[in-house]
Amino acid sequence: MSSHQDNGLKALYAVHRTELLRFLTARTGDAAEAEDLLQELWLRTTRHDSGPVGNGRAYLYRMAQNLIVDRLREKQRRMARERRWVDHETDFVAAGTEPADRRQTAEEDMLAREEVATLVSAVMNLPAGARKAFELHKLEGFSHAEVAAQLGISKSGVEKHMAVAMKYLRRALLD
Amino acid sequence: MKARPEITEQMLDEALAWHMMLEADDADWDGYTAWLEADPLHRDAFDAVALVDAAVMDNRTAIRDLVAIRQPESSSASPSRRWMLGGAVAAAIALVFAVPMLRKDGAVSTYRTAPGESRDLALANGTNVTLSPASTIIVTGKDAAKIELASGEAYFDVRHDPSRTLTVAVNGYQVTDIGTRFVVNAAGGRFHVGVSEGIVSVTSPDGGRAVQINAGQQMFSGGGGATISSVPAADIGSWRSGRLSYSDAPLPIVAADIARYSGKAVTVDPSLEKKHFSGILVIGDGTRLVDDLATVMDIRVSPQKDGYRLGAAASR
Repeated sequence: MSSHQDNGLKALYAVHRTELLRFLTARTGDAAEAEDLLQELWLRTTRHDSGPVGNGRAYLYRMAQNLIVDRLREKQRRMARERRWVDHETDFVAAGTEPADRRQTAEEDMLAREEVATLVSAVMNLPAGARKAFELHKLEGFSHAEVAAQLGISKSGVEKHMAVAMKYLRRALLD
Repeated sequence: MKARPEITEQMLDEALAWHMMLEADDADWDGYTAWLEADPLHRDAFDAVALVDAAVMDNRTAIRDLVAIRQPESSSASPSRRWMLGGAVAAAIALVFAVPMLRKDGAVSTYRTAPGESRDLALANGTNVTLSPASTIIVTGKDAAKIELASGEAYFDVRHDPSRTLTVAVNGYQVTDIGTRFVVNAAGGRFHVGVSEGIVSVTSPDGGRAVQINAGQQMFSGGGGATISSVPAADIGSWRSGRLSYSDAPLPIVAADIARYSGKAVTVDPSLEKKHFSGILVIGDGTRLVDDLATVMDIRVSPQKDGYRLGAAASR
């Protein structure tokens, strides 16, 4: 496989196209969307000109994964916005003072602030160990191993704390 | 209530484990694909984890800053500092609406919010009030000498001034303070007072002796008695930042809040009136509050003509 790496991501893409499509199909549960994502992935590889990457196959998978998460996030934002719009449309129209674009920006700001507020409050309410691990890993950017060393616990201990933290935040955000 | 199969706790654990493992350079993408193919719900579980992670990473700096401000007092709770933090968060988040200053001398001003609307008021005496949705206060006198909470909930931020006290009337009770921050919530015949900073005293309509409520304490009254209990000071008035926080709150109070935020009537079956709730509900647009409460508390929600009725869950 190392011979392909010299040809950059485009060549790697050609080699792994089939398995990437299978992955995207499993990941999205939607054959059409998987094809669409594969297309977008290909476009990105052609634009990628930084030479060979360490583990090209893993790099492609990660790119694909990131594309999916970006789309999910965009969809989530759009749904939240629409929910709000339906609720407030009549009020705003009655007020009739704000231009539509400013209105939308204000809505987005508000959604972002609400999300931050929910996350901050959830973090503050985490059990002490989970909170410490979460802050060091997610907010400060230390690796699991570094967090383990700083807290004097095992790496699997850090992973357990992180799982607790993520579940807690999920409940605060989604349910 | 939901026909769709739910993600199990185990799927969530697996999704979290995969999410962590995929960060590694030598991650097992084939194994991950096989896991996804094994059950469509695995995808939902992973989406949930990925979205939480994305929400954190997108707001990483803001979260870190706000958490850092609040850090020092997590070990030894100092109510006033804790509050400042809450204040900082609220300032960053609060919906700021127009601040009307009606100042007709000696006149009575009524401030009312619609469902879904919240409002900040700066009263003539330097008191700042945040009125939560579907609430009404009546202010009398040019120095806002008398304030009555007629319905709903309000957060009071009272400037310290030794020369005068502020009194808020609720259900015939008098809540008096000198420079403090607190919430008052009126729900039918019940009410709730929570103090985040300073001290307030509460006097009952029959002129009994005043009861003091300190920062980090709350009082529930109605349904045959009053109780004082402790509450995290930072939770008080958390509705101003999009969450309803409860510490051992009687269900009728919770139901009344949900009614105000959702704009629908929420009645409580008499068998549940004595039940209490502790936890946080994210307000969002208000429509999911009743389902969220039902899920956390294991109670049954029945749709009614103009809203919902909360009843005991069917025994299995």
